[in-house]
Amino acid sequence: MIKFDGVHKWYGKLHVLNDISLDVASGEVVVICGPSGSGKSTLIRCINRLEKFQKGELYVDDMPLHDYSTNLTKLRAEIGFVFQQFHLYPHMTALQNVTLAPMHVRKLSRKDAEAVGRQKLVRVGLEDKADAYPTQLSGGQQQRVAIARGLAMSPKIMLFDEPTSALDPEMIGEVLDVMVKLAKEGMTMCVVTHEMGFARQVADRVIFMDDGQLIETGPPVQFFDNPQTKRAAQFISKILTH
Amino acid sequence: MLEGFNFRIIWEYMPLFLEGLRNTFLISLISLFLALIAGIIACAGRLAKWKLLRGVAIFYIESMRTTPLLVQIYFFYFGLPTLGFRIPELQTGILALMLNSGAYIAEIIRAGITSVPAGQIEAGVSSGLNYFQRMRFIVLPQALGVTVPPLLGQAIVLVKDTALLSLISVMELTRCGQVLTSERFMPSEAFFTVAFFYLCLYFCLKTLADWSQKQLIFREVY
Amino acid sequence: MMTFYFQRLVEIFPFFLKGLWMTVVVAASGLIFGTICGFILGILRSGKNKLVTRMIGVYVAVIRGTPFVVQIFIVFFIFPEWGIQLEALPAAILALSILGTAFICEIVAGGVKAVSTGQWEAAASSGLTRIQQLRLVIIPQAMQTILPPLVGQYVLLIKDSSVVSVIGVVELTRVGWVTVVRIPEGLMVFSLVGFLYFVISYPLIRLSNYLEERMAVQETKL
Repeated sequence: MIKFDGVHKWYGKLHVLNDISLDVASGEVVVICGPSGSGKSTLIRCINRLEKFQKGELYVDDMPLHDYSTNLTKLRAEIGFVFQQFHLYPHMTALQNVTLAPMHVRKLSRKDAEAVGRQKLVRVGLEDKADAYPTQLSGGQQQRVAIARGLAMSPKIMLFDEPTSALDPEMIGEVLDVMVKLAKEGMTMCVVTHEMGFARQVADRVIFMDDGQLIETGPPVQFFDNPQTKRAAQFISKILTH
Repeated sequence: MLEGFNFRIIWEYMPLFLEGLRNTFLISLISLFLALIAGIIACAGRLAKWKLLRGVAIFYIESMRTTPLLVQIYFFYFGLPTLGFRIPELQTGILALMLNSGAYIAEIIRAGITSVPAGQIEAGVSSGLNYFQRMRFIVLPQALGVTVPPLLGQAIVLVKDTALLSLISVMELTRCGQVLTSERFMPSEAFFTVAFFYLCLYFCLKTLADWSQKQLIFREVY
Repeated sequence: MMTFYFQRLVEIFPFFLKGLWMTVVVAASGLIFGTICGFILGILRSGKNKLVTRMIGVYVAVIRGTPFVVQIFIVFFIFPEWGIQLEALPAAILALSILGTAFICEIVAGGVKAVSTGQWEAAASSGLTRIQQLRLVIIPQAMQTILPPLVGQYVLLIKDSSVVSVIGVVELTRVGWVTVVRIPEGLMVFSLVGFLYFVISYPLIRLSNYLEERMAVQETKL
C-alpha cells in the first residue's frame, strides 16, 4: 500500500530524511516514534505530499509520488490526515467540517454527504455535537471530529501526526479509543505518537526514527521488551520513566 | 509609448521641477512639525478629565477625519478672507495641512499611549514612581514602538496631501506639472516627471518607516 | 448680508443634493470596481508566484507613492495620448477604481496571509483543489481580518472622490467651488459641503468601529 524506496529529503543543509525504505501493507497499523526532530512528522507528511522530497521513490496505492505529474486530488481523496493541532475549520459546524470534502471532492449531494457525515460522527461518538462549532468543543472532541472528517472520504489510509500531543491528559483516552477501534476494523494506519500503550495494543509494527534515519523496526512486544539497538533502548527508557 | 518622450523639455524645465520639489519638501516638513504640535495638544485634550475640553478635542478630531482635505483647504482659502484674514495661499495651505494631519496624529498618539498595558503602569506605581517618572521610563519608551511607524505613515500621507495645494496656486511639485502642461501642452513629460519625484520621496520615507518598525518594537513577553 | 447669503444658499440647496448624488455615484462605482479587482489581485498577491507578487507589488507601490490628484491628471490628460479618450466622469471612476484596487489588494492579501497554514493543509489533505480551498475555507476566515480595514478604506475613498472635482466632475466639492463664486461665504458653503460628506461617511464609520470591536472580542475568545 505504501512503499518508500531510498527516500532522502534535505532542508537546506539539514538532512531531514536519510535513506528511508519502508513498506506498509494494506490493513497494517504502523506506529512511528522517536525524539523531536527525528523526521517522523516529515515522513508521514510525504505520504500525502504535504512535504516533497528530493531523492528516492515513494508509491502510495501504486501511485508514484516522486513523479510530480501525479494527480494529487485523486490521491488525497484516498488518504485521511489528522493533525496535531486538529485544524478544524472554525467557521463551520462539526457536521459541515465533515461533509465539506465529500460534497466538493466526491461530488456527493448535500443529503448524501450529511448522511455519511452523521454516520462518521456516530463512529467517533459525537453524533449529538453535529451542529456545534469548534470553539464550543473540547480538545478531545475537536480531534475526534477531525478523525471523522478524515474518515468521511472512506479513505484507504489514515495518517495521524501526533494526534494526542496537544491534548490535556484526561482527553487523550477518548481519542485513542477511537483510533483503537479503527485499527481493529482493519484500517491501514500510520501513526506518529508517543503513546506507547496504544502501540502495544494495536500496532503491527513499531518504527523508531532518529536523526532522519530508520533505526529499528519490529513488532511492539519485541521493540519494547527487547530493543535491538542502543538508541532505541535509550529512547524507550526515557519515555517509560514518566 | 515613450518614443515621443521629450527629455529635452524636462531638462529645460528641471530648475522649475527642482524648485517645486524643494517647496514640497519644505511645506511637508513645516506642516508635519506643526501638525505634531497640534496633535499633541489635541491628544492631551482628548484624554483630559474636563468634559468641555474633551468635547472640543473630539469635535476637532472627528470633523477633520470625516471630511475631505480638499474641502478643508477650500474652507480656509475661501472662508478666511470673509473673516477679514488676508493670508497668502501658502500659509493657508499649511494651516489646512497642519490641522488635518494634527487630528490623525492625535489619534495615533492616543493609540500609542493606551497600548501600554495597565499592568506596566501598576508595576511602576508599585515601585513608587511618580507620574512623570512612569511616563518617562515606562509608558513613553513602549508607546514609541507603537507610535513611530504610523507617524511615519502619516508623514507619507502628508507629502501626498501637499499636492492638493496646487489647486490653490501654491508653487509646489504638482503645480510645476500643471505649468508645463499649460505652457507647452506636454502632459506626459510633465506628470510622469512629477510622479517620479513623488516616488523618490515615497521610497525614502517608506525605507525610514520600515527600518523604524524593526528597531522600535518593545512588547511584553509572557 | 449673511442672512441674505444664507437664504440664497437654501435656494441653491437642490444643487448641492445633485452634487452629493454625483459623489455617491463616483464613490460607489470606484468602490465596487476597486473591491472586485482588489480581491482578485489580493488573492494573487498572497500566492506563491514570485513574479506575480512582485509585479502587483510594483503597481501598489506606485499608486501609494503618488498623490491621487496626479493620478487623475495622468488618466485624464495622458491616457488620450495612448488612444484612451475618456470624458470626465468615466476618467474619474477609472482613476478612483485604480486607487481603490491598490489599497484593497493589500488589505485582502494581509487577511489571506493571516489564516494559519494548518487550515490550508487540512483543506488540501481532503483533496480540495486550490480554488476550492480558497473559496470554502480560506476566504471565509480571511474576511474576519479584512472587513474592518476594508470598510475604513471605503470611507477614505469617499473622501478621495472629492479630488475628482479638479477635472470638472460636478460632484459635491465642485458644487461648493462653483457656488462660492456666486455666494462669497466660504465658511458657510464649505461647512455645508463638509457636513454632507460627514452624512454619507458616518454610517460607514459606525460600521467600521462596530466591526473592529467585534473582531477584538473574537480574538479574546480564541
